[in-house]
Amino acid sequence: MGSRALLMLKGVSSIAPKNQIFNFNCKSSRSSNSSFSFSQVVINHNKNNKVRRCSTTTTQSSLEPPDVSRLAETARISLTPSEVEEFAPKIQQVIDWFGQLQDVDLHSIEPSIRADTEDSNLRDDVPETFENRESMIAAVPSYEEPYIKVPKVLNKE
Amino acid sequence: MLGTLQPPRTLSRFPLYLTSRPVTLCTLTAQSPPSTSPAHSQILSIRHSLLTRQVTAAQLAESYLSRLRLTEPHLKSFLHVSDSDAVLRQAALLDQRIAGGEDVGPLAGVVVGVKDNICTADMPSTGGSRVLEGYRPAYDATAVRKIKELGGIVVGKTNLDEFGMGSTTEASAFQVTANPWDVSRVPGGSSGGSAAAVSARQCVVSLGSDTGGSVRQPASFCGVVGLKPTYGRVSRYGLMAYASSLDVIGCFGSSVADTGILLHAISGHDRLDATSSKREVPDFASQFASINLLESKPLKGLRVGVIRETLDEGVDAGVISAIRGAASHLEELGCSVTEISLPSFSLGLPAYYILASSESSSNLSRYDGVRYGNQAVADELNSLYGDSRAKGFGPEVKMRILMGTYGLSAGYYDAYYKRAQQVRTIIRKSFKTALDENDILISPAAPSAAYKIGEKIDDPLAMYAGDIMTVNVNLAGLPALVLPCGFVEGGKVGLPVGLQMIGAAFDEEKLLKVGHIFEQTLQNCRFVPPLIEDDTAW
Repeated sequence: MGSRALLMLKGVSSIAPKNQIFNFNCKSSRSSNSSFSFSQVVINHNKNNKVRRCSTTTTQSSLEPPDVSRLAETARISLTPSEVEEFAPKIQQVIDWFGQLQDVDLHSIEPSIRADTEDSNLRDDVPETFENRESMIAAVPSYEEPYIKVPKVLNKE
Repeated sequence: MLGTLQPPRTLSRFPLYLTSRPVTLCTLTAQSPPSTSPAHSQILSIRHSLLTRQVTAAQLAESYLSRLRLTEPHLKSFLHVSDSDAVLRQAALLDQRIAGGEDVGPLAGVVVGVKDNICTADMPSTGGSRVLEGYRPAYDATAVRKIKELGGIVVGKTNLDEFGMGSTTEASAFQVTANPWDVSRVPGGSSGGSAAAVSARQCVVSLGSDTGGSVRQPASFCGVVGLKPTYGRVSRYGLMAYASSLDVIGCFGSSVADTGILLHAISGHDRLDATSSKREVPDFASQFASINLLESKPLKGLRVGVIRETLDEGVDAGVISAIRGAASHLEELGCSVTEISLPSFSLGLPAYYILASSESSSNLSRYDGVRYGNQAVADELNSLYGDSRAKGFGPEVKMRILMGTYGLSAGYYDAYYKRAQQVRTIIRKSFKTALDENDILISPAAPSAAYKIGEKIDDPLAMYAGDIMTVNVNLAGLPALVLPCGFVEGGKVGLPVGLQMIGAAFDEEKLLKVGHIFEQTLQNCRFVPPLIEDDTAW
C-alpha cells in the first residue's frame, strides 16, 4: 500500500456539528473536494508531500509559521541543517493541520486542564529523605564528589 | 478447586468451563481456526496448579522463559530480559512459601512484562530512547512495586516507540517488534512490545501505557485484551511522563479476567502521584465468579451505544464488519444497541496532538545529559544540552518537541494549547451525555488491522490519523477495554480485530463484566497466533 491521502473536513460550530466526519481516502494522490453547506477548509495532502490549502470565508491564521531553527534553539536541541530542512515541511504540515481548531466556535467554553479534578491531593509541605541516593548519584554521567560536573556556562551577547 | 488460603485480595471461585450459554459466531472473513473453548484466566489456573502442587513456580517460570527465548529472535518484544537465575530464584522462594503453607498474593508465580518507560530499579529503563541507554532508575514505579508485593515476577522490559510517541514501535531507538500474527507486520504501539509478549505467551500479563491509544491499538493489532483505566485510577509514579494530563498505565492479558486481576493489583491511591484518585477500588476480579453465564440474556438491560463516527468511510470494511458482528453478539446477550453520535469527535485528533506535543516538550526538557542518561562531549553548557539531546532523541521525538515548543510559545498559547483544552471540555461533555444515556459505548480500536512494517513511516499525518478511535477517550480521561472480536484477511490465518468498549469514569468494573461475558460467549474464535505451538494449557 502506498502513502495515504488525508482528507480533513473542518467542522464549524459546536452547536450544529452535522458533518463532523473524519475521512480517509485509501487511494493515494489528490482527492476531489466535496462541497458542503457550511464554510470549511479542506487540507489536502498528496503523495508528493505538498500541502494545498483551499480557504473559504474563514479567517486565516495570522500567526507566524514555525521557524524550526529558532524552535530548536529554544528547545535546546542542536539540529543539523539537513535535519532542519527535513523537519520543516513536516512540522509545517502538522501545524497547518492544527490550525483547523482556529475555526471552531469555542466562545464561553472553559478550558480543561485535565479530565477530572478531585479535591486537593497535595501533601504537607514537609521535606522527606529519599533513601536510594547512591543509585541516583551512580546515574550521573559526570560526578566529582560532591558536585555534578558540567562545562562552563557562556554568557550570551 | 482453588486453595482455601485467601489473603484479602484474592479471588473467589471462578467457573472455568460452562456447558450451555448463548453463542454467536464471530465475524470471519478469513479461514477460521479450529473452534475451541474461550480464553480462560491463566492467572487463576496458575494459582490453582501451584496451590494443588501440580506444578512449581520454578517449572512455570522456566517454561515461559524457554518460550521467550525461542520466540524472541522473531519478535523482539523485549529490550531487556531478566537474568534467568534471578527469575528462578524468585520462583523458588515462592515455592518455599507455598510448601510452608504460607499465604501467597493473587499474582503468585505470574510472569509479567513491563513496558520500558516504567521504572524498574533492578533493570535498565530506557523509555525506548538512546538518551536513557543504560539508565537504571533509583526506584520501582508504584505499579511495579505492587506487582512484586503480590507475588508477580517481572521477566523483562518491553519495547516501545520512544517515550511513547508512536503507533508501531518503529520509533524505538533500538528495534522494531514484530506482530506474532504476521511477523512482517507491526504489533501496534507505543506498547507494541507488551502486546506482542502477551500475544506470543512470552509472559502471562504485561504493563503498558496509554496516552492516545498506546495500550488499546496494540491490543487490537495483536489479538489480546488491553485495558486503559480511568485517569487517576493507577498511580503514574515511575511512568516516564510523555503528556501528564493524558498518560495512564494500562494492562494487557490474554483474557479479560487476567486483565482485570492485574488492574486490581496496580490500582489505588498513591501519595506519590498528586493526580492519583482517592476513590475506592472495587474488587474488579471477584465479580467474574458471580456472573451467571448460564442465564440466556446475561446482559439484559445494558444499553450500548455504537459511535457512528467510528464506522464511517476511512475504516476498513473488514473492521466495520467485525464491530457490527460484535454489536449483534451483544444484542444476543440481551443488550439494547443503538447508534449514537458524538459531536466534535473529529476535533479530538488535532486537539490531542497539540496537547500531547506541548506537554511532551515540557516533560522531555529534563533529558539534558546532566543528571542521568547519555552525555555528549561539549565545552560549554548549552552545547552540552543541545548535543546530548540531538544525539539522544530520535526524529519523531524531536519533531514533537519542536511542535510543542511552537504551540506553547508566547503569543501562540491561546491559539493552540488553550483552544485544545477547550476542545477537551467539549469532548468530555459529549462523552458524559452519551454515557448518561448508555452504559457503555463501542467502537473499533483502530481503522484497520495491523499493517506492514515500514508502511506509514514517512507520513506523520497518516500515522496520527490511525489514532482517531482512541484519543478522545484520553482527552475525557475515561476507561476503555479492548478485546478481540473477530478477524480480517491477512497473515496465515487472518489478523485480529479488537472491539473497544468505553465506560463512564471509574466504571472499570462494568467494562470488565461486559467484556468477560462477551469473551466467554464468543464461539469459533481462537486468539492464539500461529507462531505459538498449539498447547492446550494456553
